[in-house]
Amino acid sequence: MRTLVKPRPLFIGLSALCLIAIWLSLALGPVSLPLLDTLRAALRLIGVPINGDGLEQAELILGQIRLPRTLLGLAVGGVLALSGVAMQGLFRNPLADPGLVGVSSGASLGAAIAIVGGSAFGGLPDAFGPYLLSICAFLGGLGVTALVYRLGRRNGQTSVAVMLLAGIALTALAGSTVGLFTYLADDATLRTLTFWNLGSLNGASYARLWPLLFVTVAVSLWLPRRASALNALLLGESEANHLGINVEGLKRELVFCTALGVGAAVAAAGMIGFVGLVVPHLVRLLAGPDHRVLLPASVLAGAALLLFADLIARLALAPAEMPIGIVTAFLGAPFFLYLLLRGRH
Amino acid sequence: MRLSTRLIMLCAGFMISHVSLADELPQRWVSAGGALSEWVSALGAESKLVGVDTTSQHPESLKSLPSIGYQRQLSAEGILSLKPDVLIGTEEMGPPPVLAQIRNAGVPVEMFSAEADLPTLEGTLAHLGRLLGDEAKAAQVFKAYQQQLEALQQQVKQAQAQHTSPGVLLLLGHAGGKPLVAGKDTAADWLLTQAGGHNLATHTGYKTFSVEALAGLNPDVLVFADRSLTGDEARKALMKENPILASLKAAKDGRIYELDPTLLVGGLGPRLPDSLKQLTAEFYPAAPANP
Repeated sequence: MRTLVKPRPLFIGLSALCLIAIWLSLALGPVSLPLLDTLRAALRLIGVPINGDGLEQAELILGQIRLPRTLLGLAVGGVLALSGVAMQGLFRNPLADPGLVGVSSGASLGAAIAIVGGSAFGGLPDAFGPYLLSICAFLGGLGVTALVYRLGRRNGQTSVAVMLLAGIALTALAGSTVGLFTYLADDATLRTLTFWNLGSLNGASYARLWPLLFVTVAVSLWLPRRASALNALLLGESEANHLGINVEGLKRELVFCTALGVGAAVAAAGMIGFVGLVVPHLVRLLAGPDHRVLLPASVLAGAALLLFADLIARLALAPAEMPIGIVTAFLGAPFFLYLLLRGRH
Repeated sequence: MRLSTRLIMLCAGFMISHVSLADELPQRWVSAGGALSEWVSALGAESKLVGVDTTSQHPESLKSLPSIGYQRQLSAEGILSLKPDVLIGTEEMGPPPVLAQIRNAGVPVEMFSAEADLPTLEGTLAHLGRLLGDEAKAAQVFKAYQQQLEALQQQVKQAQAQHTSPGVLLLLGHAGGKPLVAGKDTAADWLLTQAGGHNLATHTGYKTFSVEALAGLNPDVLVFADRSLTGDEARKALMKENPILASLKAAKDGRIYELDPTLLVGGLGPRLPDSLKQLTAEFYPAAPANP
């Protein structure tokens, strides 16, 4: 197959891009730190025993603010892009995005319940209260996706077309329920809800990070094992069946991994649009549709893209911050249009 | 040791401790609350503010300071880049992980209540006074404020003894379009009641209202707070977008008044008594205005 870039240079290039993004994400921020301090603090963070005099501020900003934020960006970007590949493979449609199976709208509904109804839960234990929003968003995403999957099943077969339509119907239903909560909300909760729907890596803390990192690593290791099966699925369901692929099992795994990955990402950082749609496309343009390359390459590209978007989000309006969803949509929407229009010629 | 030497040392000791106390007072302030920024300015410390949030719109000069964004969506590094000695804000300020990061960086985060009542304001001003090192002035400002409000209460009581309270609705909108009506449990409701009006809306919070319901309530006075326009422009936009208003008693009597929407957020601010006074005068045109 002819591709623009061969796999090896592609992976080398994407890894380099990722490393650059990580370095910039650690080195740049509203607080300007001398390059040397950043370097020394970074070395100390990874355990190199060097003299730490006068590095308190640099270490604090790197260790407590920028490093968790960078890791969060890597995980969110990676897992969103990976889920995008999984969904485009499942629906055999390059315009599919993780929202199609209802995970985003479900998470949004969960978040609305937590934000607007949060005070009604009153008296939550302290260890649980701060994570109510994340937990509700995660469970909402998982719940609606499970429902969509369940609706698509009949006689032990999963109809992708029915799932797609059920996803649209449940998305609308969840959307209007969120609308109802919006109506009930007061001014302050309304703004919280709005900002949550735009996503942010702001305020990343390790406590929120570990569950997502675990999910991301697990999903990133698991899905590439299904690369050949996804390639076979591109030919069509019955063709894949004849090739000896357990298509029903594959669909279940794809939906489950997407719900888990996107649910965890959304729970940690709110809604971040377009990464799941655009990144797989970008990689496909460069490297072709082979899932053995597409899956891991999308993780790297998604991670790097989200870090670059976050740099814009944190620097453009400093000392204030822009929601990252605005940046990704600004980059993503024109690109999406370009893809649509290009297909016409 | 002779007594005079002791005295001198004692005095010197006092002076040193006093100087060091002044040194410890926060000099670079970041404020994430509109009413708080206003109070800091009213207490004469506007020059200490190095950054404010998007709700800090008064006094006008604050708009030239670096903006730290919306009070619920603060960024730790952004605020730290202003090298603040203290961050002040209401309990609306957040998100909590960001506040924790700011605290970890050694910047004290001082929380204030946004409740709109006098005891809260007394606490807020005393707290600000301590942070500014001028508690006497803060107490004095509070006392004057309290007196103003009390005088106003007297005036309202007198007016209410002679006239019935006018039925009022408060409309909150953007350039006149689709105004929200202020119901119970809002700062607007508190304001209307303080000024001697009777809020006809019985729902809670700010809600959109059907035209029919609006016509049915037929308020004597209409107060509007427009977030994007002011003065005649706002009034025209409101009437143009909502033609039904022209048929209300308030419109026929020409009793449609304006209120600054920034008064409705963040607790009791320094500009409140003047606005209340004006509202009272508008609610009771026949009653003699107090000095």
